[in-house]
Amino acid sequence: MTIFGLGYATRLGLNFFFSAVVLCIYAPIIVMIIFSFNSGRYQTLPFREFTTDWYARMLQDQNFIDGLGNSLIIASSVSISATILGFLAAYSFQKAEFPAKPIALGLLLAPLAFPLILVGIGMRLQFTSLGVKPGLWLVAMGQTIYVLPLAILNLRVGIANVSSSLEDAAISLGASRIRTLVEIIAPACRSTIIATLLITFTFAFDEFIIAYFLTNFEITLPIKIWTTLVTGFDPTVNAVGSGVFIFSVTLGLLAQILLFKRQPGKFS
Amino acid sequence: MRHVPAGNPWQLVLPALFLMIVLFLSPIVNMVGLSLTTSQGVSIQNYVNFFSTSHLTDAMMRSIQLAGIATLISSIISWPLAFFLAYCIPVQFRIAALLLLIAPFWTSFTIRAFSWQLVLSDNGVIAASLSYIVGEPVSVGILYTMAASILGLTLFGTMLTTLTLFGAMTAINQNLLEASASLGAKSWSIFRDIVIPLATPGWLVGTTLTFVICVGDYAVPTLLGGGLKPVLAQLMLSTVKGTYDLPNAATMAMILMFIVLLAALPMTLHILVLRKQS
Repeated sequence: MTIFGLGYATRLGLNFFFSAVVLCIYAPIIVMIIFSFNSGRYQTLPFREFTTDWYARMLQDQNFIDGLGNSLIIASSVSISATILGFLAAYSFQKAEFPAKPIALGLLLAPLAFPLILVGIGMRLQFTSLGVKPGLWLVAMGQTIYVLPLAILNLRVGIANVSSSLEDAAISLGASRIRTLVEIIAPACRSTIIATLLITFTFAFDEFIIAYFLTNFEITLPIKIWTTLVTGFDPTVNAVGSGVFIFSVTLGLLAQILLFKRQPGKFS
Repeated sequence: MRHVPAGNPWQLVLPALFLMIVLFLSPIVNMVGLSLTTSQGVSIQNYVNFFSTSHLTDAMMRSIQLAGIATLISSIISWPLAFFLAYCIPVQFRIAALLLLIAPFWTSFTIRAFSWQLVLSDNGVIAASLSYIVGEPVSVGILYTMAASILGLTLFGTMLTTLTLFGAMTAINQNLLEASASLGAKSWSIFRDIVIPLATPGWLVGTTLTFVICVGDYAVPTLLGGGLKPVLAQLMLSTVKGTYDLPNAATMAMILMFIVLLAALPMTLHILVLRKQS
């Protein structure tokens, strides 16, 4: 703050600019949340009457319930498997030496810098040519690929913060590698692991394009939202969108709080 | 004290690596093969067809144009934003301000694009407010244009690039800045000579990721850009789910991948040069 002796006008301008961008980001979402309580059938001003009907309708819609159920199951299995695989891989990158280590790391992080549509179409074409029918289990596998890099990046920091004397002590006292991982390393970076579970869950829960490519008729919540949007409008979408938005942002914020709280080497 | 050898637990990387090879690498190899498959055997005929079909090349150009403009705008406006977050906000509020900016992006493109429909459509919030002021119906005509798609993707890119740029700016050694300030350097020259060069890698990562994600996005071009002037991603989806012309779909995917690899080249080169220097 003291380094850049900015003039009053510059400072005001930057404040204004930041606020304008934040406003642009939030305004449409706030509009959506407001409309989700609007009794009017059409999405236009003026606001009619306050109602929670759209939320009630959402809960009565069997397609919505099915999609939500599928999404919860898929996102849970994706986040658990990506966190376990990511934990093992991150530990290996942190503690082991092997040939082609940078290439292996590059491959594991590649989906991060890759359009998701290519993951979806690639798996679709591959499994179709193998005679495998698209389905929700394929969605789970595709989404695991998508969130695995995030898990590895997060967990690498968490594992690096664990003092290696703890694990050396465990191993020198005769604990096996797996036991050391489960009983020493994992508890020591507990908050990173929980944060990783939350973040990967959120990303899988909201993921649309991989799921769309890897299904024919099965629905996840994002697919349900999508089909509602492109096949004639239904104001229930406002309620669903608002609910999903609040849910995802809450999980994401929880994960960030856990990550900021983690302290190097703290054993708790 | 005797150091306890921790061993070399390299095998633990294998499950993740196996999954990535089966579900990521092998589908790409498969697509390369498919794109070179024609009824006459192996040839580049699919690519020749692609580049001689104008609605396909148009879609490719639209993808590049859309992602390029969104990346360009967001790569510029992320500088003042990241600067503001890194240097103009009291430290205790910094993370809160950053989270304020990135939190909405934990939800999907689909929902954010849809919420923009509510604002931009011809009976949306902007049109309704304008016609209230003017006193007669106003047609805005923004929804289902490329401008609307650009808006949606630019906001995303701004968040992403600001995030990586902020990371790079806060990683700059504070002593370096203070030393140059106390030796009499002006604010602008500190920014130009220290902050810009040291933050550029973070900026390149952000802009590259923005382009890569935007060029392959399907939700924003469909919900905000409409279907009349499709981008490559929209054609890929309609090919896979509609006509089942798999070699053609694979060819489009390979072309998208080639664009992505080309776009990532500056970042890769920059990182390699930096690594060589250090």
